[in-house]
Amino acid sequence: MVRPVRVLLFATARTAVGRAELDWPVPGQGISARALADELARAYPRLRPTLRTSRLVRNGRPIDRTSVRIRPGDEFAVHPPYGGG
Amino acid sequence: MSGSPRITRRPLSLGAAARELSGPELGGVVLFAGRVRGERRGPGRVVALEYEVHSAPALRVLRDLDRAARQRFGVERTVLWHRVGRVPAGAISVIVGAAGGHRAPAFAAARFLIDELKRTVPIWKTERARSARRPRRRPRPRIARATG
Repeated sequence: MVRPVRVLLFATARTAVGRAELDWPVPGQGISARALADELARAYPRLRPTLRTSRLVRNGRPIDRTSVRIRPGDEFAVHPPYGGG
Repeated sequence: MSGSPRITRRPLSLGAAARELSGPELGGVVLFAGRVRGERRGPGRVVALEYEVHSAPALRVLRDLDRAARQRFGVERTVLWHRVGRVPAGAISVIVGAAGGHRAPAFAAARFLIDELKRTVPIWKTERARSARRPRRRPRPRIARATG
């Protein structure tokens, strides 16, 4: 059985989806970060504007190229612009 | 030598931060505290900020900032603390500090730490406001006077 990707959503991304976490099925060989973001945007259209300004993070590390592959069992986070302090 | 960066749900103490930066060789000490402002919001007021964090990457970035500040500015100790969860208006949400031999590097390092923390650490805040409007009084029932 192929493990899903654990998708973590913060701030405006969480509000747009209505949940903080999702288990997202991906093919065994993985999927590009761009393709995964597109799938999320299709499933949750309210997430689309947030995705345009968010950083994408795989296993706690920012993704610098959207061609990076997200594999089953990975953690994939959507980070809207930060607001600490 | 430097204290570990902290992300905590507990109140932050300026006194505890000052103690982290104490030492006979530390001639320049700069501490910055950020407090939640109870600003007006329409008819109401901000009563708290709710902070959320992506913990593991946030701690990693804080450690990187701590290391960068000490390397770049030559300060010997730093403080890098952030409170998360519900932080009431007036309470401290963040403390950064730096201590070294002289004031110039301490000021520069503290400024660098707070600016980079706001820009690069995955922490978000949401305002919680309370309306100042008093609830409307229900109109008194009119009692028809008996005539005749």
